[in-house]
Amino acid sequence: MATLDSKDVASNIFTPTSKANFSRSKLKQWQPAASFEIIKLRAETLKQIRSFFEQNNVLEVDTPTLSAATVPDPFIESFQTRYIPLTQTMSSENYYLHSSPEFPMKRLLASGSGSIYQIAKVFRQGEAGRKHNPEFTLLEWYREGWDHHQLMQEVSRLLTEILSPHIQLAEPQLVTYDEVFQTVLGINPHTASQSDLLACVEKEGLSNVLEAHEHRDCFLDLLFSHVIEPSLGKFLEKTHSKPCLCFLYNYPASQASLAKTAVHNGQLVAERFEVFIDGMELGNGFHELNDASEQRARFKSDNQARQLMGKSKIPMDENFLEAVGALPECAGVAIGLERLLMIITQVGHINDVIAFPFERA
Amino acid sequence: MATYSTNEFRSGLKLMIDGDPCAIVDNEVVKPGKGQAFNRIKIRNLKSGRVVERTYKSGESVEAADVMDTELQYLYNDGEQWHFMHPETFEQMAADETAVGDANLWLKEQDMCTVTLWNGNPLAVTPPNFVILSVTDTDPGLKGDTSGGGGKPATLETGAVVQVPLFVAIGEDLKIDTRTGKYVSRAKD
Repeated sequence: MATLDSKDVASNIFTPTSKANFSRSKLKQWQPAASFEIIKLRAETLKQIRSFFEQNNVLEVDTPTLSAATVPDPFIESFQTRYIPLTQTMSSENYYLHSSPEFPMKRLLASGSGSIYQIAKVFRQGEAGRKHNPEFTLLEWYREGWDHHQLMQEVSRLLTEILSPHIQLAEPQLVTYDEVFQTVLGINPHTASQSDLLACVEKEGLSNVLEAHEHRDCFLDLLFSHVIEPSLGKFLEKTHSKPCLCFLYNYPASQASLAKTAVHNGQLVAERFEVFIDGMELGNGFHELNDASEQRARFKSDNQARQLMGKSKIPMDENFLEAVGALPECAGVAIGLERLLMIITQVGHINDVIAFPFERA
Repeated sequence: MATYSTNEFRSGLKLMIDGDPCAIVDNEVVKPGKGQAFNRIKIRNLKSGRVVERTYKSGESVEAADVMDTELQYLYNDGEQWHFMHPETFEQMAADETAVGDANLWLKEQDMCTVTLWNGNPLAVTPPNFVILSVTDTDPGLKGDTSGGGGKPATLETGAVVQVPLFVAIGEDLKIDTRTGKYVSRAKD
């Protein structure tokens, strides 16, 4: 795998990759936004995914869309709805539409399922835009006995198999979060002080976006999404760039989410990765945390962060927390299927790959 | 003070940014799967016309700009200001050189224009897409040339200079596309 070169960096998120022979205009509101070519490609892709996992002995599973609990992640908002029993119209119970099938899939793993995958429709409030639809499809899978490095290899194999008939790919890249910050911005994301981060943000023309006292992860997210991400997954060849899969791993420990943390090169990092192509995030993976008390502590601090942001507190998912304690060693990843289809078809907007996107739903 | 939250951002929305009225040209949601969301917008400064990028943390609010477009009739230029009138209320309004800008090349008395008002004062003037202007000066027309293959400069009644086909003569009325500043055809009466 090649390393990242600072020359690969160009930051313009406003140039959509629209070589689109697929995008359509002048559609009536009742008609599908995606062409039938793309609707067929989606069906083909699902078939390919299922056959890949069948060959690799990974079991397809199905878990509830409607759950009593949800993720407390301060940056993910779940849709809420109520269950009303037929016989009583007065009282009702709160339910969430899942934002990912992660919790019940881990309950299956903890119960001895072995490696499993799921293709699920998931829901996230407020996420609408060129690369977001509030309802989207996740391909999520878990490999028992694997770590995130083994899983990155498999993600690379599957995505290459799916993408290469449609687009020319350069060799995959594998870089740490630290390396990419050092190469592009010249700062160490783990050790940079608040004033280093402020200076860096200013140098990149992003001052006034955040207040000086805000959490360092906010500064890292700003720099990452505006300066680094647009260049990830682009391999520069002389004058033009070729897309490639870019795996970024070993995130700051504070961004561990549901990943294990470990010391690498004297630095505590999260054993988490993300995969990018052509400046766009495709998926996120973890070497899964299986320490129940650590998971509970992270959920508590997530809820505290939510309260500081004026967001509702999420009830603890006790079923999940109990399962985490019994979770075997495993690694898991979730890939956004619509984003993958955007890359296959080279369209500029997620609406072009969804039959009835949010505004037509 | 009216404000807009980032979740109301869309193209065309008018905001006050650094004390100047601006219009959103493009709004991009930058939301990592895990982590802080941002709205990255491209805005056009309505005073200078310059387009710049800005980023806001999602959920923040930005002051709204009291900007609206009105259709007004152009009356005359008194040497310093350009005067316009509302066709129904007959209310008059004067715009200065900064507001009129390049539109002055295409303003013809009686024509209807879009005048953008900020806090009730003219901020920008947009001429109609097509105007009919007569030729005040050009080289003599070549006899028999109707191909339009060649070209020559012609000065119009507003002072604008456009490339026209060789057959065009002084005194003729021409249809001009003000967005490109190009000759379209001879005006048909």
